[in-house]
Amino acid sequence: MKKLWVVLVTLLAGLSLAQTTLRVGVLLPISTVAGKAALNGVQLGAEQVNASGKVRMELVVVDDGNAPATAVPALTKLMTVDRVDIVIGGLASGVTFALSGPVKQYQPLFLCIGAASSVVEQAFSDYGRFFHYHPWDYHNVAAALEFFKYLYDNGARRVAILYEDGPFGSAGIQTYRQQLERQGYTVQAEPFKSGSGSFTAILTRLKAFRPDILYWIGYDVDALPIAAQTRQVGLEPKLIYGAPPAWPVGFEKNSLSNDIAGMTAWLPSVANAESRRFVTLYRRKFGEVTDEYMAPMGYVIALSLGRAAEAAGSSDKDRIAAELAKVQMDTPFGPLSFKPSDTGRTRYQGFNQSIWLQFQYLEGSRRPVFPPNRAARPLRFPGNY
Amino acid sequence: MELLLQTLINGVLAAGIYALVASGLALAVGVVGIVNFAHGEFTMLGAFIAYLLFVGSGLDPLVSLGLAALVLFLVGSLTYYGLIRPVLGAPELNQMLLTFGLSVALQNLALLLFGANTRVVSPPYQGSTIHLLGLSFGVVPFASFVLSVVLLGGLYWFLGRTRLGLAVRAVAQNRLAPGLLGIEKERIYLLAFGLSAALAGVAGVMLSVILYASPTVGFAYTLKAFAIIVMAGLGNLGGVVPAAVALALAEALVSTYLPGGGGWVEAVFFLVIFATLTWRSWRAA
Repeated sequence: MKKLWVVLVTLLAGLSLAQTTLRVGVLLPISTVAGKAALNGVQLGAEQVNASGKVRMELVVVDDGNAPATAVPALTKLMTVDRVDIVIGGLASGVTFALSGPVKQYQPLFLCIGAASSVVEQAFSDYGRFFHYHPWDYHNVAAALEFFKYLYDNGARRVAILYEDGPFGSAGIQTYRQQLERQGYTVQAEPFKSGSGSFTAILTRLKAFRPDILYWIGYDVDALPIAAQTRQVGLEPKLIYGAPPAWPVGFEKNSLSNDIAGMTAWLPSVANAESRRFVTLYRRKFGEVTDEYMAPMGYVIALSLGRAAEAAGSSDKDRIAAELAKVQMDTPFGPLSFKPSDTGRTRYQGFNQSIWLQFQYLEGSRRPVFPPNRAARPLRFPGNY
Repeated sequence: MELLLQTLINGVLAAGIYALVASGLALAVGVVGIVNFAHGEFTMLGAFIAYLLFVGSGLDPLVSLGLAALVLFLVGSLTYYGLIRPVLGAPELNQMLLTFGLSVALQNLALLLFGANTRVVSPPYQGSTIHLLGLSFGVVPFASFVLSVVLLGGLYWFLGRTRLGLAVRAVAQNRLAPGLLGIEKERIYLLAFGLSAALAGVAGVMLSVILYASPTVGFAYTLKAFAIIVMAGLGNLGGVVPAAVALALAEALVSTYLPGGGGWVEAVFFLVIFATLTWRSWRAA
């Protein structure tokens, strides 16, 4: 009996020595749909990693409030009170930009889930422990332009761009305009105040322009007013294409959303093995399926971190970073590996424009419609607005 | 000409909801004498009531109007008794800080309960359009304009034709004399603040259909309401509708005729406040 205990204790001690324990800070805007989805994804990924038994991931979750003023003290707490070495976070560009100083001060391994703005790329250009999974804004533009080229080939000629006049909507609008004009489009761009809900005047003026595509760059608060008021003024574009960071809750159930198109990195209907596996696991854990691509993004980050920690056999952040740089894995978005960013500013860039797909709200849900090889349904063009 | 007419229609229809939000605020300022910074959050509560009833039981927002008004009347009355009444004798800065604090608290409560996301209701008539003589406008903005006119007409009738309404106006004009005539000032304050919140609740229900429900939905409209009551003259209920029409028309005209005018829309109401206050101080000098 005594021998049995000795063997058991030795085995347990051996197991605990073989298991790498990681304390990971998760800094996300958990009161937003995207932030909650990202957190769910990270938790699901961590659960999978822990189930393997080789790496034990302990998550310390804090809310960044989707605001720099909340995020910076939250990161400081993670680093000084919770003493984590690894942080998963950085969903919104503005928040992540504000975190660049404190991150460089505390030197964690920073696994960035969102923050597409090139301003963030510049801010982290001299930081070697920065792994950016999400595509950069120039990847987003490239993917959207590919779709606009397809629309041009299908007869679209005039694009009316409605852009919110804050940093999100107006950054790069001139470049965007030029690129569309280079494709052969005639473009009319109009600024608006996001959240004002007043579009009838601008849309009335646009009637004279007779746009084939109404392209709006704004926030979720603008989605429904634009959809309703486009009809109310009788604009009748062939396509309404929106580019908000998130869509309103329940928008897909509103008949006004029908035929409206947009861009996302993932939908549950994406047909690859990892995506199907993710959907199954997510449904099992949370009892529902999400449309938010931040959920699989969080999941991928946790899985890749687990894989790197397992290869490193250590909780040392630099050894994990070195292994993460070598990671090659299939994900719900497609293959993941890290390369220097296209501009060469950051060393570890995960995904690029190839993960983006265009969707259309059709019969109460978002369906992939472009590129053709990933489309679940043909694009309805012209749409009925 | 068609563009001008369409712009004028757009402006007039927008004025309905502006007037509804501003009338409630004017009632609180004019009768109770308190600048209620939480007025936008009462509007937000109305929007969420409509949203929850729609999602929970499929109740059409038009049906939930009455319930929202009643709930907000109670919320307003409780707010008056619990928070406003104790500070009525305090300096104005304290009163403003109190309502500002209430605004922040309600907004954060909504953030905790519902998150920061935008939520939409989907009644079948939401995108319906009326075409008339080459002009077109939405059924919902038109209905909300008509409803605003009816409600405000009812309010003005109440204030001008009923004993209780006359008592409200008497208290608004002089805080001491009505007491000598047996008018219970406290009761009038309670009624006015409750009505003010109820009007905000009704406006919130309309906003949930026209725009969305979110913790910040009332903010932009409260700013405009402040511009309107400044333009009308603080507490001058009769001036609210003309001021709302003037502001909405100015916004529509700027948005239509000024290049890049959509970005200037929000500047219009600041310009209105600035111009009105400057003009008043010149006139007084």
